[in-house]
Amino acid sequence: MSGISNILQIATTALLAEQLGVEVTGHNIANVNTEGYSRQRVNLVTARPVPTSYGPVGTGVDVLGIERAFDPFVTARLNDKKSVLSYYQTRSDVLEQVATVFNETQDGGLNELFSQFFAAWNDLADNPTGSGERQALLYQSLTLCDAFNSRANQLVQERANLLQQIGPTIEEINSYTSHIAQLTREIVESESEGRHANDLRDQRQLEVARLSELIDVQTYTPGDGTLSVALPNGLPLAQGVLSFDLSYQISASDTIELIWQGPGGTTEIIDTSILSGGELTALIQTRDEVIPRYQQELDQLAQDLIIAVNDQHSQGVGLELFSQTKGTYQVSDPAVAMSTSLPLGGQIVVGTLQIAVDRDGAPLVMDTIAIDPSLSLNDLVTSINTHPVLGTYLTASVEDNSLKIVANLASDTFGFAGDDSHVLTALGVNTYFTGDNAYTLGVNAWVLNDPDLVAAGQIDATGAHAVGDNRNALALADLEDTPVATGGLTLGESYQSLVMSLGLEAQEAGNQESFYQGLVVQLSQMRDAVSGVSLDEELTNLVKYQRAYQAAARLVSVADELYQTLLSIKK
Amino acid sequence: MRVTMSTIYTSIQNNLQRLAEDLQRINASMASGKKYQTISDSPVDVGAILGLTQDESQMVQYDRNLDTAKSWLSTTLSALQNITDMVRTSMALANQMATGTYNASQRQAAAQQIQGYIEEVMQVGNTELKGQHILAGYSTDSPPFVEGAWQVQSPVMHLQSGSTGTAVSGGTYTGSASRTYVVEVVSGGGIGVGTYRVSVDGGQTWTSPAVIPAGPAALGDGVEVTMGGTWVAGDHFSISVYRPIQYQGDTHDLEIAIGTQSRMVVNEVGSAAIGGDLGSNDLFQILAQLRGSLEANDPAEVGASLESLRSYESHITSILAGLGASLDRVAMKENISGYLKDELTRQISDRGDTDLVAAANLLSAKETAYQAALLSSSKVMGMSLMDYL
Repeated sequence: MSGISNILQIATTALLAEQLGVEVTGHNIANVNTEGYSRQRVNLVTARPVPTSYGPVGTGVDVLGIERAFDPFVTARLNDKKSVLSYYQTRSDVLEQVATVFNETQDGGLNELFSQFFAAWNDLADNPTGSGERQALLYQSLTLCDAFNSRANQLVQERANLLQQIGPTIEEINSYTSHIAQLTREIVESESEGRHANDLRDQRQLEVARLSELIDVQTYTPGDGTLSVALPNGLPLAQGVLSFDLSYQISASDTIELIWQGPGGTTEIIDTSILSGGELTALIQTRDEVIPRYQQELDQLAQDLIIAVNDQHSQGVGLELFSQTKGTYQVSDPAVAMSTSLPLGGQIVVGTLQIAVDRDGAPLVMDTIAIDPSLSLNDLVTSINTHPVLGTYLTASVEDNSLKIVANLASDTFGFAGDDSHVLTALGVNTYFTGDNAYTLGVNAWVLNDPDLVAAGQIDATGAHAVGDNRNALALADLEDTPVATGGLTLGESYQSLVMSLGLEAQEAGNQESFYQGLVVQLSQMRDAVSGVSLDEELTNLVKYQRAYQAAARLVSVADELYQTLLSIKK
Repeated sequence: MRVTMSTIYTSIQNNLQRLAEDLQRINASMASGKKYQTISDSPVDVGAILGLTQDESQMVQYDRNLDTAKSWLSTTLSALQNITDMVRTSMALANQMATGTYNASQRQAAAQQIQGYIEEVMQVGNTELKGQHILAGYSTDSPPFVEGAWQVQSPVMHLQSGSTGTAVSGGTYTGSASRTYVVEVVSGGGIGVGTYRVSVDGGQTWTSPAVIPAGPAALGDGVEVTMGGTWVAGDHFSISVYRPIQYQGDTHDLEIAIGTQSRMVVNEVGSAAIGGDLGSNDLFQILAQLRGSLEANDPAEVGASLESLRSYESHITSILAGLGASLDRVAMKENISGYLKDELTRQISDRGDTDLVAAANLLSAKETAYQAALLSSSKVMGMSLMDYL
């Protein structure tokens, strides 16, 4: 039915539609800075025309609904890349922190301390009787040990810090998944009348985006307004209106085990190697794989240092001999073969060991003891005590599970020479360093308390030894250029390769971070190109809707005038 | 592409942030003078620098070792040069005294002079460097040369033709100065027949003749001689009594590291260089014999000692040449290590130190870029359709 009332009808629909347009534009402007907001627009269609004898006549405009500008594919890719980005961000942060432990670009690094340590041995070789040189060497050694200890400690601290972050991160993940399930419930409820719950969907999308920064997830939209979020192995974190929590525990091998809390109290341990993105993955990987690798390398280096220095030191003799001495390493069981009962027992090979005895400072006797790795500490004690020559002058015993040797007479002292079995290294007798890894590395208390016991010289085949002898100090100084570390490297080279591989790994993580940063920026721009709000565009729309509203209002007044004209005919 | 508000503002923020980061890095590298602040800045360069730094500090250490080597070698050299000088003076003296133009009292005086040299050589042999006896091998804590107990030497015999006289020295010396007893047979014959007389001043004064006893004859101060065989008048022999000087050190060579896997012997073993071991080149033994011959007023034996001194002189000259060569080697090593240190410093600096000119240029370039970015950003941010509505 066309007519003036139809004009009014048209004007009414137009006024309502344009007003809605202004409202939606206002909503867009208000949310220009809201994270995750998708621009909305009014979907207008031509109202159904009425058939007349002239043909169908339009009845104005109809509002079909309010739509949001959203590209699910770009958003999914963006979330995916954000997940990888946050993985590399976290990894790079952790590696940079580990790198500061080994920062050799500044003074006072371990490299420098290595050089100073060997320089001190050279100085001692230049003046074997010098007490100043001996003190300087001990001081350098303590500094070197401190440097190893504190670096080992810092790595342990770093792992502890990471563990502290893992709990809260998992809680955050759980709170996001439960929000997602809750929002799904609200969306399903409010969309039951066929309307789009745009703002709720934006919120849910934002939660998914935040979730994927923490852990890499895959999302599925079955199409009924629900959303499923699942781990890469398919275990769901949110499924429809349900959500499942994660928790963690520390395994027997000191690694993190993620636990999925399924429906009805079921649990499943997630293999963390399936995870590839997100902050949590980076935290777990750096704690369980990256840092332990460097800890192991540092420990190996410390052990190489201990073995190399002690092997050489135990061949030598100081300015004075021992009236008694005790090993620094303990056997787990004095009745078991030393090769397995000592921490460095693997060093022992079949060979011999010589002990020289002095009386009143002059050589008395010197004899050989045969060593076999299958000997237990008890066996060794017996073989010293029952030795036809040495047994007369020395008494060996097991004290605190270590070897103790005491000279029988106060006038007698003893020293060691020509140990090709490395048993002294394994027992910690006449050694320089103690400990067997970076954390336990220390200077033997025997030499620390009596610097004259630093073995700069060696005992001759005749049992003679002189204070000016520098052979052992020279041999120890030579260790700087000897390939004694793992992989046929010198100790310095071995440390340099550790620093370089750590630097490269940190650099690689940093490079990946900037690469994914670039991708995320690009994808964000693509997302914003679809969903973002442009103020200029909204202002244009505002003017557009305002003008249309003004025109529709004019239509009302025109219809009014038509009515007036029509009514005035009857006057 | 639609450009939205967040696109504009995010990109402005990202760009400014990146430029600020660059500025910060350049600033840090200029302020610290170091190109890299963390090992991840350039792991390969940092690794190379570590290796070079290690080499450099080793080089510094070898330099220090070379200093020690130099002081050992030059102290040894000057000690042995002193000794060589004394050997030459002794040779000149022996040369004079071997001729017949000098009398017994002059030879006695020369013997005193030689005694002085013996003491002096021993003192030089006990030279210390920073409290260490450098000629004692590894036994640097005690003087290598010490005077032994009094020893009565074997007789030096001068028999006439047809004489079958034998003499065996013995007894324990109770005197306090070294001396030489000269015994001369006054009238020939065996035990109980021949007579002899004794002089302790090279034959200037004699005891009154006594009959050769069966058994030891006392020469004075506990020194005895047992004479046998049949003597001819004019036979004479001399017996010296002195404290021989003995070597107490060991025979180890002291080595010092002067480079990677390279060592140098920096000492001379006293027994080989000077003596005290009763070997063929024992200077103390040679000088003691010379002194004895002078005390005995025996030009022929003085001549024999001169020969020994000559052979010792060539022995010590070759040792001095060896020390000189070692010192040359030290000087050469110092030169090379100086050059290497410079080269290493240059390489470390090349890799690790900030090139200030380049950094300053880069800084001003980044500064310009930052200012341009600020300007354009403020322009873009300032534009809005609102201004025109």
